[in-house]
Amino acid sequence: MSDTVGAGARPRAGAVTLADVREAVNGVALWCPDDSPAVTGVVAADLMSDVLVDARSGCVLVTGLVNLQVIRTAAIADLAAVVFARGKAVPADIVDLARQMHLPVFASRDSLFEAAGRLYAVFGGAPGEPGARRQA
Amino acid sequence: MTDAEFVRAYEIVGADFTNAGRASTGIKEALKDMGLPSALIRRVAIAAYEAEMNLVMYARRGTMTLHVTPNDVTIDVRDEGPGIPDIQLAMQEGYSTATPAMREMGFGAGMGLPNIKRNTDELVVTSEVHRGTTLLMKVHVG
Repeated sequence: MSDTVGAGARPRAGAVTLADVREAVNGVALWCPDDSPAVTGVVAADLMSDVLVDARSGCVLVTGLVNLQVIRTAAIADLAAVVFARGKAVPADIVDLARQMHLPVFASRDSLFEAAGRLYAVFGGAPGEPGARRQA
Repeated sequence: MTDAEFVRAYEIVGADFTNAGRASTGIKEALKDMGLPSALIRRVAIAAYEAEMNLVMYARRGTMTLHVTPNDVTIDVRDEGPGIPDIQLAMQEGYSTATPAMREMGFGAGMGLPNIKRNTDELVVTSEVHRGTTLLMKVHVG
């Protein structure tokens, strides 16, 4: 299962950028040459099969899964960036592949739940509010 | 793009998770170079990647062949593997024979074939148990 927020959420003033995402999750940029691009939403998932079904192009993927397929999945689906949550170590070969594929990657010590919650708020969502699009 | 047809084949090795996805990435790059619309490229890339991951997870080896004409993008996937005993069942969302190792990779949720169908205009699956599976996927241009 994955959850996607973005399109239906109440927009905040101005576009949400990669810099906003990094700040929200207290992230460290593992590779990000430019954090000014806008992002369209967030998908939180550990199952790449779900990402390939649910994620819209331009979304940021937040995941606790760390392997090469995360990078390839995000690049295939035209995602804006990947945030590796839960403070997991991200091996150099994964960062190298991200660089080769021009996909910004960040690491955060937040749990997947915390990171998704903070990013939900960045996109203007609040608990119980309609607007955030939930997908099974 | 030009009126000329474009054909490129990619060899895929079963259980090679280090390189899984390279063929689909190559297909995506080739379609970008042709200047096709990004939404179409995304559909083709997702369908190709789902098929490639299925091949890497289940088959011994196989090929993916990209064939582009002014009207269609076609990907022909052929593998040597266990085959699919019941294609109709395999097309159902959530049906999966994935191992725990496959699920740990982030795949095997039983969404592969249904998602390929969702992202293509035509899909023909043929399979022979203990021999292999063939997918013919087509997306119309324009």
